Amino acid sequence: MISRRNLFAQMAAGAAVGVAGAVNAAAVSRVALAAIPDAMQRDTPDTAPPLSPPDGRPYQPVVTLNGWTLPWRLRDGVKEFHLVAEPVVRELAPGCTAHLWGYNGQSPGPTIEVVEGDRVRLYVTNRLPEHTSVHWHGQRLPNGMDGVSGLTQPAIRPGETFVYEFVARRPGTFMYHPHADEMTQMAMGMMGFWVTHPKAHHPAIATVQRDFCFLLSSYDIDPGSYTPRISTMTDFNLWTWNSRVFPGIDTLNVRQGDRVRIRVGNLTMTNHPIHLHGHEFQVTGTDGGPVPPAARWPEVTTDVAVGQMRQIEFVADEPGDWALHCHKSHHTMNAMGHAVDTLIGVDHRGLASRINKIIPDYMAMGERGMADMAEMEMPIPENTVPMMSGQGPHGSLEMGGMFSVVKVRADQKPGDYSDPGWYRAPAGSVARRVETPGEAPSSPMPTAHQHPPRPTAGASEAASTRPASEPLRVRKPDGHGHHGH
Amino acid sequence: MSSQTIPSTAARAAPSTSLQHRATKRRALGSVLASAAAVLLGGCASLSPEQAIAPVQQQSQAWLSADLPLQQTDDQRAAARQRTEALLAQPLDAQAAVQLALLNHRGLQASLYGLGMAESERVQTLLWPNPVLSLGRLVRGDEREIERGLSVNLLALLGRPARQDASARTLAREQARVAQQLLDIAGQARRRWIDAVAAQAQQAHARTVLDSASAGAELTLRMRQAGNVSALRLARERAVLAEAQLAMEQAQLQAVREREALIRAIGLWGDDVARLSLPERLPDVPSTFRQADDLERTAVAQRLDIQAAKRQSEALAAQLGLTRQTGRLNALELGLQRNSSNQAPTQRGLDLSLEVPLFDWGQARIVGAQQAYLQSVEQTAQTAIDARSEVREASERAQAAWRIARRHHDELLPLARQVSDETLLRYNGMLIGVMDLLADARAQARAVSAALGAQRDFWLAEATLSQSLLGPVHDTASSASPNTSSTPGASTDASGAAH
Ligand SMILES: [Cu+2]
Repeated sequence: MISRRNLFAQMAAGAAVGVAGAVNAAAVSRVALAAIPDAMQRDTPDTAPPLSPPDGRPYQPVVTLNGWTLPWRLRDGVKEFHLVAEPVVRELAPGCTAHLWGYNGQSPGPTIEVVEGDRVRLYVTNRLPEHTSVHWHGQRLPNGMDGVSGLTQPAIRPGETFVYEFVARRPGTFMYHPHADEMTQMAMGMMGFWVTHPKAHHPAIATVQRDFCFLLSSYDIDPGSYTPRISTMTDFNLWTWNSRVFPGIDTLNVRQGDRVRIRVGNLTMTNHPIHLHGHEFQVTGTDGGPVPPAARWPEVTTDVAVGQMRQIEFVADEPGDWALHCHKSHHTMNAMGHAVDTLIGVDHRGLASRINKIIPDYMAMGERGMADMAEMEMPIPENTVPMMSGQGPHGSLEMGGMFSVVKVRADQKPGDYSDPGWYRAPAGSVARRVETPGEAPSSPMPTAHQHPPRPTAGASEAASTRPASEPLRVRKPDGHGHHGH
Repeated sequence: MSSQTIPSTAARAAPSTSLQHRATKRRALGSVLASAAAVLLGGCASLSPEQAIAPVQQQSQAWLSADLPLQQTDDQRAAARQRTEALLAQPLDAQAAVQLALLNHRGLQASLYGLGMAESERVQTLLWPNPVLSLGRLVRGDEREIERGLSVNLLALLGRPARQDASARTLAREQARVAQQLLDIAGQARRRWIDAVAAQAQQAHARTVLDSASAGAELTLRMRQAGNVSALRLARERAVLAEAQLAMEQAQLQAVREREALIRAIGLWGDDVARLSLPERLPDVPSTFRQADDLERTAVAQRLDIQAAKRQSEALAAQLGLTRQTGRLNALELGLQRNSSNQAPTQRGLDLSLEVPLFDWGQARIVGAQQAYLQSVEQTAQTAIDARSEVREASERAQAAWRIARRHHDELLPLARQVSDETLLRYNGMLIGVMDLLADARAQARAVSAALGAQRDFWLAEATLSQSLLGPVHDTASSASPNTSSTPGASTDASGAAH
C-alpha cells in the first residue's frame, strides 16, 4: 500500500519505522519544507502494479519486482520526488523479516521513473542515525549532483533534507545508492532502481509489452537474528532480488508472445550469472546505455558483475513456468552452514540411535544428500527461511535466494500482472517415470572409485582408518604418487 | 583428674580416724544405720548405665533426629541388626546414612560402655562407706560383756560430697565427649554420603560425554571410510574420545573412593557393603536459604566445647572453694576485650554473653586459686571466640555455596539447555553439522556436571554449618576441590569441534 504520510506529523510523533530512526527535523525550516512534496510510503513487500504516468511525457512503465515506483509531483515542469532515508522492517520472505535501512518504508527504495529530457528535482530527507548521501549511478549530471559525500557535496546529516536537481539526459537503466559510509549503508539495504524512458522512438530501444526490474543485494543475517552483520565482506548468507528471497520473490507473469525486458542491477559484492530457462535473450542495454543492435548476441545466461546493470530482452513465445535464477547454485540457497561435514555415503546404521540417546530430537540428515532438509520441515531458528524450500506442482523446489519463475501464458491478458498459478502442461509433455527401472545406487555409496587423500607421514598408523576400498599396503612416499590432486 | 589432688573443704576439716561405737546397751544404733544404708542403697544408688547414656541419646534425637540404641544384649544387637538391614533395603538417604553410622560405629558403642563405666564410678560414690561390724564377747569372771561395734569410715563419709561431685563431673565430661563424638560421626556420615552420591551422579555426566565423543569418533571413522574427511579430522575426534575415556576412568575411580569413604563412615561390613545403594541424585538446592540472625548466640548457648569450658570453670571454682559469689563476669566480653586488636567492633554482639561467676578475692592465700580460675575464664572466652568465628565462617561459606549453586541451577543450566535447543535448530537448518551437535552435548554434560559440583558443595557447607552450631567440626576427608575431574580434555575437544 502506498500512503501519503505527513512527514511533520511523523517526526513530531517519533513514529519511525524501526528503532533508530527518530531524528530531529528542526533543522529543516517549515517554510522550506512547505515546498517539498509529500514523502510517499509503502508498507508491503508486494509487487505494485505499474504506475502509469498521470502527467508529463507518456511512457510504458516498468514493474518493480516486489517493489514500487515513487509517485512524483509535477511542479513548474519539474518532476519532484521525495526520498526519505530511514530504518525499515523488510520482509525477505514469509517468516523472515530484516531490520534494514531503506527509503520510504522499504528496502530497496522505490523505483524512480522519468523520461529522457525531464528536469528532475529529488528531495532527500535523512532519518537515519548517521549522515548519508545519494549517488545517481550512471547519470549524466552536474558534478555537484553526483552525491559523493565529501567529494561533491557535504553529507546529509540526520534530520536534514537536501535537494538534488538535474536533467535526465540519456535513456536507460540506472540505480541510486548512498555514497557516504557506503559499505554499511548498502549492507543495510539502501539502494533503488532508476529508469529513464526514451522520449521518442529510439532505434536501439525496442517497445516491449512487459518491463521488469530488480536489484541484486546480499545480506549476512545470523539465523535467529534480524539485522545484517554489516562488516561481512564476502560470506553473505542471503542472496536477494529487491531484498526478497525465494520463495518470497514474486513471479514474472507475461502473455505468450510478449516482448519482455528484464532489468537487473547488481549491488552485491560478487557477480551473478542470471539465467533464463526456455528462451534465448539478448543483452540490449547496460547502465552505459542501449547496446547497439549489431553488437548483441544471443545468450541464456548473462553475468552481472558488481556495480553493473544489464537489461535483457526476449520474446516469451514458449508457454510454461520457466525458471529465472542466478546460476551460482549457492545463491539459490538461503542461510546455510558452510562448514557442515559431508555425510554422503556414510553408513549411519546403529549410529543414529546412539546419537539419539544423547540428543533425543536428533534426526540423521545428509547421508543421501541435502534434500532431506527440504523434505523434513523440522523446526529451525526463529526468523530464518529454510536453506531450501518452496513447493511446486510436482513437489519441493529445493530452492532459495535468487530464484523466480517467468510464467508465460497464452491467456494472460495484456496489462495483467497477476499470478496465473502453476502451468498445466499438455498431456504427455512432462517427463515421466518409465516402467523399466534403472539400477538405483545402494546406500552407502559404492566406494570403488574413490581416491581419498593419502597421508604422506604416519602411513601405517593411518592405514587402518582408510576407506574400506583401499587395499592395506605400506607404501613409501616416493614423490610419484598423486598427492595434492 | 587434677581437681582430685586438691583436698576438698570437707576433707580438710575431717579427722582421719575411724570412730568406733562401743555399744553395750545401744543395740539400736546398728540397726538404724543399717536400715538407713539399705534405704540409701535401694533408693538412689541403683546402678544403671542407661541413665548415663540417656542424655546423649536425647541429644542424638534432638540434634540428629536419629536413634542411638544400646547394643549390649543379644536382643539389642539383633534389633540394631534389623534396623541396619531395613535401612539398607532401599537407596540410602542422608538421614539413613547418619542412622546407620550411629548403629554401626564400633567406636561409638565403645564410648557407650565408657559411659556405663563412668556411671558405675559415680554410683560408687553415692554408696555409704561399708560399716564395719565387730562382735566381741569378753568373759571376765561371771561378767560377760558382749561388744558389738559398728564402725564407719568417717573420713570416707566426710569426703563423700566431694567425690560425688567429682564423679558426677567426670560423667558429665564423658557425656560431653561422647556427644562430640556423636556429632563427629554423624557429620562425617552426612558429608561422605553427599560426596558419594555426587560422585556416583558425576559418572552419568562423564558417561554422556563419553557416549557423545564415541559417537563422534565413530561417525568420523565412517566419514573417513567414505572418503569424506581427512586423517587429521579423524585423529582429532579420536583424541576427543580418548580424553573422554580418561575422564570416565577418573569419574569411576572417584565414585569408588567416595563410596568406600561412606562405607567407612557408616561402618558397613561384609554383605552389607554390597547391599548399599545410593539415590541417583542429591536433594535439590533449596530456593531460599536465609539463616537466622542469631546463629552466633545459638552456637554460644549450645556448643559442646563452650559448655565444656564453662563447666570446667565452674568445677574449678567449686574445687577452689570459691563460693562467695559477688557478681558475674561476662567471659565473652572479657575475651573480646583481650582480642580487640583483631576483632572488628561490630562483631561484639550486644546481647551476646557468656557469664561466669565473679568471686570475692579477699583472702591472700587463694591468690593461686584466683589465677587458676581466671585462667580458665580466659580459656572459656577463647573457646567462645573461636566458636563464633567458626560459625560465622561456616555461615558465609554456606551462603556463598548456596548462591553459587542457585546460579548454576537458575542461570547456567537453563542457558546451557537453551544453547542446546538453539544448536539443534541450527542443525535442523543445516547451518551446523552433527559434530557440532555432539560437541554441544558434551558441553552441556559438563555444565550439568559443574552444577552438580556446586550442589554438592552447598550441601557440604550446609552440613558443616549445622554441625558448627553444636560443636567444632572435624572433617577428615578433604575432597574440597570441586569439579576438577569433570573438565579434562576441554582443550582437545574445542579443537576437535572446530573445523
Ligand atoms: Cu548469484
